[in-house]
Amino acid sequence: MEFLQPTSWTDALAAKAASPEAVPICGGTDLMVELNFDARRPAALLDLTKVADLAQWDIDDGSVRLGAGVSYARIITELSARLPGLAMAARTVGSPQIRNRGTVGGNLGTASPAGDAHPPLLAAAATVEAASVRGTRLIGIDEFFTGVKRNALAADELIAAVRIPLPVGPEQFSKIGTRNAMVIAVAAFAVALQPARKLVRTGIGSAAPTPRRAPAAEQFLAGALAEHDLWESRAELPGPLLDRFGDLVTAAAAPIDDVRGTAAYRLHALGVMARRTLAWAWRQYQSASPEGS
Amino acid sequence: MSILGTRVLRTEDPRFLTTGGVYTEDVVDERLAGACHVTFVRSPVAHAKISEIDVSAALAAPGVVAVITGADLADLPTIEPAMAGLINGKMRQRLLATDTVRHVGEAVAAVVTESAYQGEDAIELVQVDYDLLPAVVDMTAAAADEVVLHADAGTNTAADFGSPDSLKADLFDGCEVVVSQTIVNQRVAPAPMETRAAAAVWGDDGRLTAWVPNQGAQGTRGSLAKLLALEEAQIRVITPDVGGAFGAKFGADPEHAVVAWIARYLGRPARWTETRYENLISMTHGRAQRQQVTIGGSKDGTVQAYRLEVLQDAGAYPRIGAILPFLTILMTPGPYAFPRAEAIAKTVVTNTTPVGAYRGAGRPEATAAVERAIDLFAAAAGVDPAQVRRKNLLPTFTEPHQTAFGALYDSGDYVAALDKALAAAGYDELRTEQQRRRASGDVRQIGIGLASYVEITGAGDEAGAPNENASVEVHPDGTATILTGTSPHGQGHATAWAMIASDELGIPVEKITLKWGDTDLIPEGGGTGGSRSLQLGGAAVQQASKELLDVARQRAADQLEANPADLVFDVGRSAFAVAGDPDASVPLAALAEGERLLVRTVFAAAGATFPFGTHVAVAEVDTETGKVVLRRMVTVDDAGVVLNPLLAEGQRHGGIAQGAAQAFLEEVLYDADGNPLTTSFADYPILSATEMPSFELADMATPTSYNPLGAKGIGEAGTIGSTPAVQNAVIDAVAYLGVRHIDMPTTPRRVWQAIRDAAHDGSEHG
Ligand SMILES: Cc1cc2nc3c(=O)[nH]c(=O)nc-3n(C[C@H](O)[C@H](O)[C@H](O)COP(=O)(O)OP(=O)(O)OC[C@H]3O[C@@H](n4cnc5c(N)ncnc54)[C@H](O)[C@@H]3O)c2cc1C
Repeated sequence: MEFLQPTSWTDALAAKAASPEAVPICGGTDLMVELNFDARRPAALLDLTKVADLAQWDIDDGSVRLGAGVSYARIITELSARLPGLAMAARTVGSPQIRNRGTVGGNLGTASPAGDAHPPLLAAAATVEAASVRGTRLIGIDEFFTGVKRNALAADELIAAVRIPLPVGPEQFSKIGTRNAMVIAVAAFAVALQPARKLVRTGIGSAAPTPRRAPAAEQFLAGALAEHDLWESRAELPGPLLDRFGDLVTAAAAPIDDVRGTAAYRLHALGVMARRTLAWAWRQYQSASPEGS
Repeated sequence: MSILGTRVLRTEDPRFLTTGGVYTEDVVDERLAGACHVTFVRSPVAHAKISEIDVSAALAAPGVVAVITGADLADLPTIEPAMAGLINGKMRQRLLATDTVRHVGEAVAAVVTESAYQGEDAIELVQVDYDLLPAVVDMTAAAADEVVLHADAGTNTAADFGSPDSLKADLFDGCEVVVSQTIVNQRVAPAPMETRAAAAVWGDDGRLTAWVPNQGAQGTRGSLAKLLALEEAQIRVITPDVGGAFGAKFGADPEHAVVAWIARYLGRPARWTETRYENLISMTHGRAQRQQVTIGGSKDGTVQAYRLEVLQDAGAYPRIGAILPFLTILMTPGPYAFPRAEAIAKTVVTNTTPVGAYRGAGRPEATAAVERAIDLFAAAAGVDPAQVRRKNLLPTFTEPHQTAFGALYDSGDYVAALDKALAAAGYDELRTEQQRRRASGDVRQIGIGLASYVEITGAGDEAGAPNENASVEVHPDGTATILTGTSPHGQGHATAWAMIASDELGIPVEKITLKWGDTDLIPEGGGTGGSRSLQLGGAAVQQASKELLDVARQRAADQLEANPADLVFDVGRSAFAVAGDPDASVPLAALAEGERLLVRTVFAAAGATFPFGTHVAVAEVDTETGKVVLRRMVTVDDAGVVLNPLLAEGQRHGGIAQGAAQAFLEEVLYDADGNPLTTSFADYPILSATEMPSFELADMATPTSYNPLGAKGIGEAGTIGSTPAVQNAVIDAVAYLGVRHIDMPTTPRRVWQAIRDAAHDGSEHG
């Protein structure tokens, strides 16, 4: 097996262009498992950990530009105020060791339906910055996941960063698994409220072939909030509204039975998480001062 | 002041925490220089005829020294079931499957390579043609004998313990309340941190030296001798550090014998370490019973009759698991004074990994059954479960109590243990809190689960009454060495045994070395299992120490020209002195200067002991998601006199956690074709620290008279009490929604399903 270890982003892109079959490796927390189980025998590995740029984040035009190689541990310590939804999800990933090594770039690279970064990225309307020697292309998160463990990257492309708009309202995340740590989600859900734009966004994990949004639920909720002037009044959300939101989120999912859970349970859990995360987010919105939100 | 009963820090730990243990894979020994590596080809299917094995491609692969198949081992005997008398002797296994494979993971061939990684590649080149046979995975289906695993046996029934005909039709006559329930005591994986391994080499003297992680080197030597048709004297087993065993490292497995055979065949040392995947599919599993309980009594909560019917899944080949129902039946009534009780069991083989001993081995299954039964009865009678227990527990006894199932409980105070646990937990306040949450319609409800248990530790075996040997030697430099027939793998024997000897001999703990696990050094021993070590092996150390003092006293008398009866042994100074003349004294160590001061002794106990206790679990259940959070574990574990509270608490902690894990997390799963679904720790949810609360341990110590230490076993008690306590707590939390029973593990999905089914039943029946 060939081992490529570029030290600059330009070299990395050149290497990927020259050997499109080379498999990138960042934290290795997905890839090394595949190699150890002999699920995959790539001809070449492209180590990205020596590319310093990838491990940077900065703020650019109202978005956090999160380098593909920033670890979950750093998201938690450095970005939990700016990206609360993603940080919540990051806290549920694996164990301290996995959070020290694992990256959002790797999560997107694997594109597992169970990747915990995906629901908050969907809810936050993130954009994936894909790069190649041909140039840089921005892929909306809604278009990024193309199938079970498949994404929209071309053979010569690498993920440079994820651009995540700074939240303009409360974000919440919830995950259920068979144990509290080191657990692959049985189902996960994220919600983001955007009071200024009167918009709602969602993200569903582990309950469909790809991570996906629940557009009907979003539209229903945004419509209902507007209709009843709830954005302005910040009044309690009526129970039926929460229930309907939960039902519509459930309807957006298409889960399977597996060793971790049944499809029926996943649908149920998703409904519960949708209602709960919305209630939490709304409480946050209620307690935030109108000027500050 | 005696050192016994004090919290002496583990003398083992500095090494484990600094340089680390030396496990079998780590052993560096010149005898093993140039060792080849063994990698097993394992069956990917649950049941098939092997039509052909083609090893030619593998032989041509880089680094391959040899490929061994069952044909090469044709001269070796087939493996007999454990306790051949009890078990259908026609259910035999070969070291490597020759014509039939009976579970996924069964070893079919062994590839020998220069390095370990070459083996991983080469096993893929061994071509095995399998003609698939239908698989039977479910034990109830296996009992129907539609698919038979062992054609010679003609049936899947490996053993019957009693017959259904013996069950009394009128057992429950006169009972106002009778409840029946099928209970699954699910299959779990021992999952020790150190997987199985072996290193083997043959000397010029024709003797085998084998390093094997085990629970008793002498037993492992015996198993290897049987598997390889050797004399025990031809084998030396050495036990390196052992990273957890939980019952599954007793004796030797087929793989250990194959590694030893290869070392002889090639005239070259051979080594093997399995992967976690292999460990999860081919190390023996535990539990795996389906139970039917029926319990009846009066509305005031008095139980009049109890029946237990057990179906035991032995896996593909009858190992120890096949005979565990024997222990389950022995402990049927647990700590209760049921006027009438009966139990029967049947063991069947299935196309799954063989079942072996697992922390508690047969007794936890009995406790789980009766503790569920008590709660079901309490719920049906409408009496508080604590009250039902108090009403039916055996009253305090100091003279041994003989049960109808043949157990002789040595000493017990079960009601006191229950009351102590309830008080420590604040039972009444917990019930008030539960009422408050129910009334307020809280999404998160709490449940309080109880389990009162009695278990058996340090029992004898076929060979006779329980016994263990120890040797103690005092050296001229003031140090001492102990040899023990037990075999620590985490329990802290080096500390505990040194404390016992120190207490007698006055030699500081840090100057006492414990040795175990080398059959040339210690040819006899029962190893560590069944929570036997302290009450037998520890007692032997005390007896040896006392006998050593007798020998030393005679020598001291000679030296001091005194009458032995006039000498006193001053433990503080570790010296003999003439009574009334402390200046006329001789240090114990000095008495070893001429002739070795060494005593070997065998301690024999009057019988097994019966530790007991009560566990109280508080579980919080999210009634919407079904997720269980274990909030509190309050336990009373009475194991007699406690030698070192620190070690005893460690055993309780580990046991409680492992038992709780069975209740709400862990389960080995197969699909209908016998494919294992839980083959890594991503799918087998082994317990982690984040699932456990801090444990609240209350102390109680009712001595036994069966050994001079007054000690009973503590190694498995935690597991025995916590499993039903946690399961009962989860069910108790949702009982007000109409839920009567939830099988383990109480995963979010199962709990949700139970709530949903109860709501459905409720609305249906109006
Ligand atoms: C014990 C354990 C627990 C885990 N728990 C969780 C969990 O709770 N939640 C969760 O979501 N995941 C979990 N994972 C999976 C894994 O940690 C995450 O998916 C993580 O985000 C992967 O990041 P990485 O940097 O380690 O990826 P790597 O393993 O390095 O790469 C993963 C994939 O992405 C590709 N890739 C990496 N970087 C790039 C790039 N810049 N451009 C293009 N492709 C790229 C690689 O080629 C590979 O296909 C766990 C893994 C383990 C081993």
